Amino acid sequence: MKISLNWLSNYIDVEEFKKDTEQLSVILTSAGLEVDGIEDMAKDLNHVVVGQIKTLDSHPDADKLTLCQVDVGQEGLQQIICGAKNHKAGDRVVVALPGAVLPGNFKIKKSKIRGVESLGMLCSDSELGFAEDSEGIRILPEDAPVGQAFADYSGLDDIVFNLSVTSNRADCLSHLGLARELSCILNRPLKNIENSYEKYNFKTSDTIKVELKDNEKCPRYMALLIKDVKVEESPAWLKSYLKNVDVNSVNNVVDITNYVMLEYGQPMHAFDLKHLEGSQINIQSLTEKTEFVSLDGTKYELDNNELAICDSRKVVALAGIVGGQNSGISESTQNLVLEVAHFKQKPVRKTSRALGIDTDSSYRFSRGTDINEMPSVVARAAHLIEGLCGGKVSGEVIDCYPNKITKKDITVEFAYVSERLGYSINGTEFVGWMKRLGCEVIKQDEASVTVQAPSWRHDIEIKEDLVEEHCRLNGYDKIPETLPPLSYEPLKHDASYLQNKHTYQFFAKQGFHQAVNYNFVNKSTNSEFIGDVQAFKDCGFIVGDQEVLLQNPLSEEYNMMRPSLFASLFKNVLTNYRSGLNSSKIFELGRVFADGETGYKESNHIGLVSWGKTVNLWTQTSSPQVLHLKAVMENFLTSLKAKSWSWKKWDSKVAFMHPARTATLFFQGKNVGYITELHPKIKQDYKIREDVAFAEFNSDLLMQGFPRKPKVTEVSKYPAVERDFSFVVDKAVVSDEIKTFIQKSEKKLIVKVEVIDSYSGEKLPADKHSLTYRVLFQDKEKTLTEDIIKKMHSEILNKVQEKFQ
Amino acid sequence: MLEEKVKLIFDSAHKAMQEAADSKTLYDCKVKFIGKSGELSLLMKEMGSLPKEQRPEFGKVVNKYKKMLEEHYQVCEQNLKMAELNQQIKDDALDLTLPGPTQDLGSVHPIPMVIDEIVTILSRLGYSVKSGPLIEKEWYNFEALNVPEDHPARDEQDTFYLKPGYVLRTQTSPVQIHTMETEKPPLRVLSPGSVFRCDSDISHSPNFHQIEGLLIDKKVSMADLKGTIYFFVKEFFDKDVKIRFRPSFFPFTEPSAEVDCSCPICKGKGCSMCKQTGWVEIGGCGLVNPKVLSSANIDPDQWQGFAFGFGIERMAIIKYGITDIRLFSDNNSFFLKQFS
Repeated sequence: MKISLNWLSNYIDVEEFKKDTEQLSVILTSAGLEVDGIEDMAKDLNHVVVGQIKTLDSHPDADKLTLCQVDVGQEGLQQIICGAKNHKAGDRVVVALPGAVLPGNFKIKKSKIRGVESLGMLCSDSELGFAEDSEGIRILPEDAPVGQAFADYSGLDDIVFNLSVTSNRADCLSHLGLARELSCILNRPLKNIENSYEKYNFKTSDTIKVELKDNEKCPRYMALLIKDVKVEESPAWLKSYLKNVDVNSVNNVVDITNYVMLEYGQPMHAFDLKHLEGSQINIQSLTEKTEFVSLDGTKYELDNNELAICDSRKVVALAGIVGGQNSGISESTQNLVLEVAHFKQKPVRKTSRALGIDTDSSYRFSRGTDINEMPSVVARAAHLIEGLCGGKVSGEVIDCYPNKITKKDITVEFAYVSERLGYSINGTEFVGWMKRLGCEVIKQDEASVTVQAPSWRHDIEIKEDLVEEHCRLNGYDKIPETLPPLSYEPLKHDASYLQNKHTYQFFAKQGFHQAVNYNFVNKSTNSEFIGDVQAFKDCGFIVGDQEVLLQNPLSEEYNMMRPSLFASLFKNVLTNYRSGLNSSKIFELGRVFADGETGYKESNHIGLVSWGKTVNLWTQTSSPQVLHLKAVMENFLTSLKAKSWSWKKWDSKVAFMHPARTATLFFQGKNVGYITELHPKIKQDYKIREDVAFAEFNSDLLMQGFPRKPKVTEVSKYPAVERDFSFVVDKAVVSDEIKTFIQKSEKKLIVKVEVIDSYSGEKLPADKHSLTYRVLFQDKEKTLTEDIIKKMHSEILNKVQEKFQ
Repeated sequence: MLEEKVKLIFDSAHKAMQEAADSKTLYDCKVKFIGKSGELSLLMKEMGSLPKEQRPEFGKVVNKYKKMLEEHYQVCEQNLKMAELNQQIKDDALDLTLPGPTQDLGSVHPIPMVIDEIVTILSRLGYSVKSGPLIEKEWYNFEALNVPEDHPARDEQDTFYLKPGYVLRTQTSPVQIHTMETEKPPLRVLSPGSVFRCDSDISHSPNFHQIEGLLIDKKVSMADLKGTIYFFVKEFFDKDVKIRFRPSFFPFTEPSAEVDCSCPICKGKGCSMCKQTGWVEIGGCGLVNPKVLSSANIDPDQWQGFAFGFGIERMAIIKYGITDIRLFSDNNSFFLKQFS
């Protein structure tokens, strides 16, 4: 909402703030009206004055330049050189004197042009910042007072505040409304607004019949006939008032309706009488499909029970939103009907949203207007039209107001106010503020007060609202700071919060960077990567029958809620890889979504990705990415105090997964996720030269039972002993099989089995590989002697050979 | 005679030991001269040729030399070991500017990092984390929070819609309602997480993060709210930060306030972060509107509450001086590394 200080000062004295805008800004902000910006309309017009060209000669050394003697008022005649062609002696012009800084930081200085002194510049509209482009300098009307500051002359000596008005404060969407607010805050009187007019002896109702058919949506409707108006350009003052708050001037009648709206916050409309067929105005909800063309020529199909203003045949306006092209004011208008109405918030908002029409009028009606102010608004508009358009105003205002709306009484105890604010308030002071707000005091005693909120404050309905008003007006800085005592047991944190925290701390320590991605992805890329989402069922993910699609995505890039973290993480890989990171590790903790029979489902996931070689100065061979992720994941499982799990080869049908390098994690009787490498085809398509491994787990399943206590057992006093075992077996025998077999062979004494080498190559037959295990033995009761170890060693060798070779 | 022989052996053994260049040679000397079948031991065997009365004397002499050689051996061995150790130390010289076989540090993303900081601070006041779904029934996101259909406040929250009746939550506030439905008051809860608005530009992301706090008790005042917020903001930024409450409007609170703090970047002097105002907006708060309590079946005549909400990105931007909101969702390791 733009508020002009000049305009505002018609209703309340705000002179002192013109010099100290910051102070007003603080006052408004502390009252809850946030100031988004303050614009000094004249900031580029210092040292710019109205001048008159007294003599005009050509420059002695340049044919295209003129040498003018210009009267600039106090400083007398100034010699100015000008390159334009559209000026002559006697013209009144806009003169920028030395010291002026025009838009674009164009500094005007005393200068010499081809040897002749020039003491300023005659300005064009583009130089003044009024137009992008302009031809010639601006020539002012003959009555422009020579020597007057151009800012004053053009109405630009104004300061405009841009306020961000919250949706509850519809009453501040006008200059008078804001003046009223300031009057309350500053305890300063409002000025009178002139609204008298000559009431002619003809009746509006003799010419036009107004029928209010839907008083639910329109509780009050006023109409006034004005005859013999002259529609023409608005006077300069009106145009500049509107211009300063960014409203275009149309003609004097339309400008007055806009002016009065910005004055009172009450939108209004004017119809050309000759276009109102059947001399009727019906305010009714539409019952059938109707076409409507708005003022700006846009066509709309109406069929949704919209409230419309109709004559006997057609829709002439969409109530409270926009007028029709068929009935507006034009230069040919002679007689007009002014409409001032109260349209209810909800229907206006509904229609304006449904049709996508957002006007100053619908904006105000959907926030609420003041039903009691309507007669003053009618009178004010009539007064202005009479004055500026020369009309004859009917002595009768039609006022359809079948059910008078009254405000409810609100009672509040002073003790309650004190209690809610946390400091003790004074009843008299409280009632004082309520009165200044415009509340009517119905009843008052020592402990409480009953008031009725003013008609312009739709937001004051319950006693809490009064508490807020007092708090606000008295100043939020008066509220003391206390900490509420804790007299009850705090709740437990949600398990998912603790799980997440454990998880991100763990992976960050493992060298992974945490990503936080949008929860939505692109549907088509996602299906390119995943194929049929049903395949995820096999690794323990929630899967629905349908994708979770957004009805109104911001862009196609983000049009569905993700069923897996893959697409997001892959995007991260691309971003990082393309920014030059050939190797890194990223993880994400996020939600995935499904749309199942029982509605939408969400579950928490852990996603991991690593890419690039891990070799460094000291290790010359790089481990396969996917095993790297597996190792980290196993450490994670250990950190969850998990005791056993297994990896199962998965012939996955998911498109992005490497068909020969994919496994599921089997844990606590369920598959809970997958590890995989990126499919070589996708690597090729996206020109990624490094191996990329992904892993993703349903953390709701994975972390069930977290946090677990560690099971602590006594530590053996006797030393542990290591022995290595090597086997050459068929490639079909996977390392885990032998590992598990060894573990089971001597449960009591084997503490740990790990694979320390795996080889296949020239030295072995093609279908064989060699696996080396390191086994750690320890006895809790005695030292393991060489004999016992030798015996176990040969037993294990024999058993494994028997089973696998 | 024999004694001379002993002396000769001793001399050559002493010299050989002295000259031995390594432990092996030295040990060989030991074996050769004083070992079980070394020269001195062999000499002892010749003792039989001596007259009986000379034998003890001779034995003593041999043993004396043997002992001296043993001692000498010890000394030589010690010296050699020392020399060898010194050599090894020389050989061990290592360029310590070479990198070790390290693993790069990972990092926690600033969003969960800030959430955790806030939770840690407010946990000290008895708040606990509660979470809720990101896909919400429209009722929880709006009606229950006193934003009826066709209320202009809905315009202020550009909403993503799913199937009829469902939205992506535009705020973390629906968790308030869920919590009040399942937990009995009094209570103090926090709900951090993703929220969505279909709005995107240099300073807005369509999927950003908030943290919401809710306290329900018998008597709750604005002073309690202010005290809580002041404590929290000072803990989060720094003790010297100035805070102000500004009247505002949220349908779910009454009275409502916007919370500003003095710009931690310029300390209130004015900079681009605070648009030269010296203040930055960090969140909103207020006393819970009785209509919201009723929505969650809590009797507003018995219970009161306050609620507050902060933008996580906003807090991180201010705390770390981050200039571009897109950095949070790009997940570029070069950015993330800085939070290692």
